Amino acid sequence: MEKTWNNRAWFMVLPVLLLVAFSAVIPLMTVVNYSVQDTFGGNQFFWAGTEWFEEILSSDRFWLAMGRNLAFSAIILAIEIPLGIFIALNMPRKGWGVPVCLVLMALPLLIPWNVVGTIWQVFGRIDIGLLGRTLYTLGIDYNYVNDPIDAWVTVIVMDVWHWTSLVVLLCYAGLVSIPEAYYQAAKIDGASRWAVFRYIQLPKMSRVLLIAILLRFMDSFMIYTEPFVVTGGGPGNSTTFLSIDLVKMAIGQFDLGPAAAMSIIYFLIILAMSWVFYTVMTNYDAEKK
Amino acid sequence: MTQTRRWQIPLAVVLAIYVAVVWFFMQRLPVEDGERDWFASLFPRSWMAWSFPTALFFSTIFLLLALMAVWEYARPGGHPRVGILRFETTRGDRLFVSLLGSAFIHLAWLGLVGPGLWWALALSVVYAIGVFRYV
Repeated sequence: MEKTWNNRAWFMVLPVLLLVAFSAVIPLMTVVNYSVQDTFGGNQFFWAGTEWFEEILSSDRFWLAMGRNLAFSAIILAIEIPLGIFIALNMPRKGWGVPVCLVLMALPLLIPWNVVGTIWQVFGRIDIGLLGRTLYTLGIDYNYVNDPIDAWVTVIVMDVWHWTSLVVLLCYAGLVSIPEAYYQAAKIDGASRWAVFRYIQLPKMSRVLLIAILLRFMDSFMIYTEPFVVTGGGPGNSTTFLSIDLVKMAIGQFDLGPAAAMSIIYFLIILAMSWVFYTVMTNYDAEKK
Repeated sequence: MTQTRRWQIPLAVVLAIYVAVVWFFMQRLPVEDGERDWFASLFPRSWMAWSFPTALFFSTIFLLLALMAVWEYARPGGHPRVGILRFETTRGDRLFVSLLGSAFIHLAWLGLVGPGLWWALALSVVYAIGVFRYV
């Protein structure tokens, strides 16, 4: 069938264009403007050129925060993806267990991020928290307020608790979509449990896994609320991720120029990663067709 | 689909608007002792903190988008093709890759070389030509 070309149809996207302009483009323009100027308040600005970008790119503070962020994303992906697959594989496919498991899995996802942070902040306290007090009673020297490793463990376990369910639900959706005939054929061929997973379940889950990896990576790379509530970026700067550092710089220190430059670098990294993931996903779809 | 329309008039309109906008921004700049202060605020005490270089930067980005629209009007379809990245890209994809890559070229130049960005700009133009030719 001959495709009809009518470029006037583009006018249909004008409302959303206006919405994006006010919610994204104008703030982005403002940040770019701030990134090349200096201000001491009162809406008076002085040209600074590329000074803030040079300052950020040569600062250890930025690269350390970036390193922490990448390490955090890598660790939580290495835990959440295999764990999510494992739980999804062991969830019931029929009977009363299905709704029970689905509700239990959905629960952590329904809790607001700052509430999750507060729960874990109290949970980990050695004076009143169930986890902290129990570990203390068992003789384990755990204190996320003073010890950087304990702070990291707390933040990672909190993220795993909060977000593994998302991976589980996505993997489960992929698993239940596999026709029963595949399993019957595997059974006839005498395939092992591993072979069924490797050659039937994993390929059928690959698309949802890609989405899960994309979502978890982007989310963990932009994480702010939960670690901020639990550790406030400490002890020292040990859990200061990029977004926490950015807020400290912009609001805490009122260094709007360097903070704007850092925002732009951060934004460009996120944009590049989004494009890579989007391209991988769309091409994956194209290859499947 | 190869369809060619009369694109000269839209192109002229787009370029005329760009020139008018840049001229308007230039008129906003304060003149002291017969010389323009190119880095002064375009709209003093405005919260958006517009300066001439950033206004020119965004005007040029919008010009590029408008030129892409004119190109699409002239030759509809986006000219999809499979290049060296081994997946299909349209003209819009190639512009996006060019702009994003140019941003990183400028950042890398600032971080590794120094503040003089003219060579980074030249490198970005070469890179963009390469993207439009081979990607």
